[in-house]
Amino acid sequence: MAEYTPFEMIAYTGSRVLEDNTIVFVGTGLPIIASIHAQLTHAPGLGIIFEAGPLSPILEMGMPLSVGDTRACRKACYLKGLSSVFELTQRGHSDYAFIGGAQIDMYGNVNSTFEGGTYTRAQTRFPGSGGAGAMAANCEKSIIIMALEPRRFVNKLDFLTSIGFGDGSEEYREKAGVMGSGPYRVITNEALFGFDEKTRRMVLLEVAKGRTAEDIQKKVSFELLISPDLKEMAEPTEKDLKLLREECDPDGYFLARKLK
Amino acid sequence: MKNQVSSLIKKVSNLTNGDGAIASQEPFSWWGASPEKARKAMVNKPKGLIDKRTTIKDAVDKYVKDGINIAIGGFVNTRPPVALVHEIIRHGAKDLTLSFQSNSICPELLAGAMMLYPDHLSIKRVELAWWGYEVIGIAPLFRYLCANGKIQLDDYTNYGMSARFKAAAMGIEFLPVRDHGGADMELVNRGVMVESPFSGKNCYLVPACYPDLGLLNVTAADMHGNCRIFGAHCTCPEIAMAAVNTIVTTEQIITNENIRTYPNLTEIPYTAVDAVIEQRYASYPGACYGFYWFDMEHILMFRSASDEFRKTGKMDALKKYYDEYIFGCETFDDFLGKLPYKTLKKIKDLDGGQPVILA
Repeated sequence: MAEYTPFEMIAYTGSRVLEDNTIVFVGTGLPIIASIHAQLTHAPGLGIIFEAGPLSPILEMGMPLSVGDTRACRKACYLKGLSSVFELTQRGHSDYAFIGGAQIDMYGNVNSTFEGGTYTRAQTRFPGSGGAGAMAANCEKSIIIMALEPRRFVNKLDFLTSIGFGDGSEEYREKAGVMGSGPYRVITNEALFGFDEKTRRMVLLEVAKGRTAEDIQKKVSFELLISPDLKEMAEPTEKDLKLLREECDPDGYFLARKLK
Repeated sequence: MKNQVSSLIKKVSNLTNGDGAIASQEPFSWWGASPEKARKAMVNKPKGLIDKRTTIKDAVDKYVKDGINIAIGGFVNTRPPVALVHEIIRHGAKDLTLSFQSNSICPELLAGAMMLYPDHLSIKRVELAWWGYEVIGIAPLFRYLCANGKIQLDDYTNYGMSARFKAAAMGIEFLPVRDHGGADMELVNRGVMVESPFSGKNCYLVPACYPDLGLLNVTAADMHGNCRIFGAHCTCPEIAMAAVNTIVTTEQIITNENIRTYPNLTEIPYTAVDAVIEQRYASYPGACYGFYWFDMEHILMFRSASDEFRKTGKMDALKKYYDEYIFGCETFDDFLGKLPYKTLKKIKDLDGGQPVILA
């Protein structure tokens, strides 16, 4: 079996989750790589939105290093600015928000603002919402990448930056005035999660080969629901890895990093 | 406020009374111009097609004052108005409010100047969505300022900030948006949740942002200030139309005849621009589509000096950067003159010849 890194597994899994003939609004890094991989394999009809302005570019100049990279504009079908692409999400043009973050809770709410201390004296301030809060609100489904650690899968966020299902109540998102249906998948290198339709709580859908549901629960601070149909995560083939390493991120900006 | 309601955020929030965030502390006031003041300033401007070309120094001398709200154009490392920010640092200004959606080197350069020379330049508050370097890393000076409570924040999403500039560009007081609600963002910015007068549903309103001064670098402009922007527009057209005054650097001045041949390509009309300066590489070390890509090495150099300050409190490397590249230069061309030719060639090549229409 092929050898792969945790980041390659996350990118591959992200790719698997994206369906053909849909639009994905991406954050920087692994979401871009996953989307390029999906375009090169099962989803040639996948369009990408980058928040600086472009819709459905052809990324022939290589992977954009950020969502503001000028390369992300290459041969786009439509290219204006931030207002135009976020307004597309409000109107329902974007199927997926694909974001990362520092903490997530059982209802798929995400923190990317600060950790520790208070809002006005944050021990560790992150860059902030950026597009994430708007994407999680108004793209139809949110896909979230997170490192599988108890300090990231938390009972209570230090700050709720990007809306998930809130407190899990049925009317939470409607009362928030947002349009998207909410969290859809949470991707880690060892497990893939979804959300229970009735309780809106996080559900373990798939585990990496050799892992059990108990192994995953130990790395999550809140109680997970376990799918009665728990599956093993598909692994990238040699062909997938070649695409990821040679086509998607040939300089290894994101895939060649070491897991902290 | 009439009809003010709330989402269910308080059921899940970890913040107590907004945790001292500015949004929970003070009654609303315009951080910058009011809609009436901004309109009056526009009404009183001469509207002729005059020659607005000037120097960066003269434009900054004319429009930068203590206590004003300065909007920064571009998006992260794309088209940041770096040449204008260098001049503002030389000029100095206290108690500034900065407004932008996502930016990197510009607010960091201003923050570094505040760390070094607080009596010369200071930032009082920032209206923003995001402050960092993306692939290059977090912004060390922003993290330092937040950890030490040195700036007030008004914290939105990228769309929230864009909609705020857009509202001002439209001459109105606020815009309804579909985000911030149900997140702690609702408690740390000055937007409000209201009941829609039409459907009765919850609806989030963000206040317009009318900056006193907008800073932009655009692809091409004529001498009157008609601007073309290729690549992502970011929120540059909205900022130009929102601000009381706007200074535009441009990679290339083009003729008015050329502008009139393709009027649909004009993203900012001349009435929204007060000063035009042709300045090559005006976004360096950021990128300008069609001209040059960003210079990761130079950003890393400045970032590592900032990070050293954050981690150790030592200002030597930071001071050296400002002495060499900003205070040691009279103009932005002096700064560019300190860069190796190979660097400028490399970033030009890395742009890959993105297509722009200049003729």
